[in-house]
Amino acid sequence: MTSARRQVLGRRSRAQIAALLKVQTKLSLREPYGLGVGVGLPIVLLVVFGFISKAVPGNVGDTGLNVIDLYIPVIMVISFIGIAISIPSTLVRDREIGWLRRVSTTPVHPSQLLGAQLVINFVFAVVAIVIAMVGGSVIFGAPLSVDIPFFILSVALGIAEIFSLGLVVVALVRTQSAAGIVGGVLFFGLLFLSGLWVQPDQVTGPLQYIMLYSPSGSVVRALLYSVFGETPPVPILIAVIGYTTVFAFVAVRYFRWE
Amino acid sequence: MCCPPESLPNQVGERAAVTITNLVKRYGGLVAVDDVSFSIQQGEIFGIIGPNGAGKTTTVECISGLRVPDSGSISVYGLSPQRDRDKIREFVGVQLQESSLPPRLRVGEALELFASFYPTPLDPQQVLESLGIKQIERVAFKNLSGGQKQRLSIALALVGNPKIAILDELTTGLDPEARRDTWALIERMRERGVTVILVTHFMDEAETLCDRVALINHGVLSVLDTPEAIAAQAGVNRVRFVPSHPVDDETLDAVRGVQVIERKGRYVTVTGTGDLAASLMSALTAEGITVSELEARSGNLDDAFIKLTKDSTPRVPEEVQV
Repeated sequence: MTSARRQVLGRRSRAQIAALLKVQTKLSLREPYGLGVGVGLPIVLLVVFGFISKAVPGNVGDTGLNVIDLYIPVIMVISFIGIAISIPSTLVRDREIGWLRRVSTTPVHPSQLLGAQLVINFVFAVVAIVIAMVGGSVIFGAPLSVDIPFFILSVALGIAEIFSLGLVVVALVRTQSAAGIVGGVLFFGLLFLSGLWVQPDQVTGPLQYIMLYSPSGSVVRALLYSVFGETPPVPILIAVIGYTTVFAFVAVRYFRWE
Repeated sequence: MCCPPESLPNQVGERAAVTITNLVKRYGGLVAVDDVSFSIQQGEIFGIIGPNGAGKTTTVECISGLRVPDSGSISVYGLSPQRDRDKIREFVGVQLQESSLPPRLRVGEALELFASFYPTPLDPQQVLESLGIKQIERVAFKNLSGGQKQRLSIALALVGNPKIAILDELTTGLDPEARRDTWALIERMRERGVTVILVTHFMDEAETLCDRVALINHGVLSVLDTPEAIAAQAGVNRVRFVPSHPVDDETLDAVRGVQVIERKGRYVTVTGTGDLAASLMSALTAEGITVSELEARSGNLDDAFIKLTKDSTPRVPEEVQV
């Protein structure tokens, strides 16, 4: 391939990516499931737990942390979960109605469509992270001291893990209605395990371990340590890496474009 | 699996856009396409007709690379739809049967998106105008009527400026006016030199648009010819006229192809095969008889279709390459 041709192809693929991002952004704003659950819900939770924290200050379950301190990572992870669960609702539909197949007859592979979708979802997640951290510290006074390398690692792994779980649903579920049911069950299960209703420090026995090392709970822990300037425990990081690997493998292995 | 060595040189010459050789495709135990061979010339409108489930869609999906043949080979401008799928997708536009767009995607957005996918696209605005859907540019897919969806689907197949357009069940679900408009569009594609592969189960559509038609039945190519030739081969022609002088049956019977003569009032109706009207006219002229109110109706593709697909044993064509 000559370099001129490579340049032409490079320009074209940049134009394709730009057009895909533009269209997918518009669609994401018109069908704002991801935006609503991924950014709207965290804002609501931030306000709720922020005021609870102000009303009931002090030590939660002997952790030395305020309510808002504990819930900042939970709110971030809830954003990831909300976005991940919105992925099947559009992608399974787009496959079911033949849109992905239609795109696959063009020079663009539907994976590029998925890529654009994931980029936009990643942006939503980053917006939610910024809202949770800035709002939590500036408005509600959480004393954050972020360990930047571990924070970035935890965010990257956490988003990869939970988005991959969303893609597992896309891979294994055939119809939009089934995706709705599976997604709903998964959503509330992951929310519980992340500590939304009860923190792992407030329970004992096996449930505490299940919560700590669950797909959503382990990400919450990794974030919690890194936003308070501590190194996340190795077992927690291993759990997150393990889940990410398994989910990504299953998603890739069973993915269908048609 | 597939892909025997590319042993057969392209014998049809360089004007073939698509050459299919011994194509076989099975779904489990069901043979969807059974040893089909034909070639499609550049710039022609090529129809593929056949009953439901005959293997029409499977055949075109193999051409566009959406399905992988079990055996046989396909050449699209010398390229293989499997090995060179990326190259083929750049110049083959496809309109799929039963394919929708995301409900909230708007007409203009979809067209601009698809234009961005191709190396030398047409101007989306011009495509919108030529398809008469400019006024719905900002309408979301879910709010389109059946006819508008169909036009958008055709627009998407054309906006990439393809050399070959594959149109599957083009006018299904359209009202008669929209069908006429769509046909006019296809005629315009022919003028632009686009090779069109048209899958249809409407015989009038094939008759109006297609240069040649392949009839696929039970996965087998049962006939390939011009619509007129297929109709003539299977059907009967009917000629009705009013002679200037009475004409006797012997004169008419002597004309080649005449089978039945009927008289009703002033009218004489002759049915038979072959180029009936011309033969009759020359015979009558020789007798010094002129005719008025001449009406000739050739057996149409519809008649031929029913006759050919009712044959329980599919006929193997002697010659399929044209």
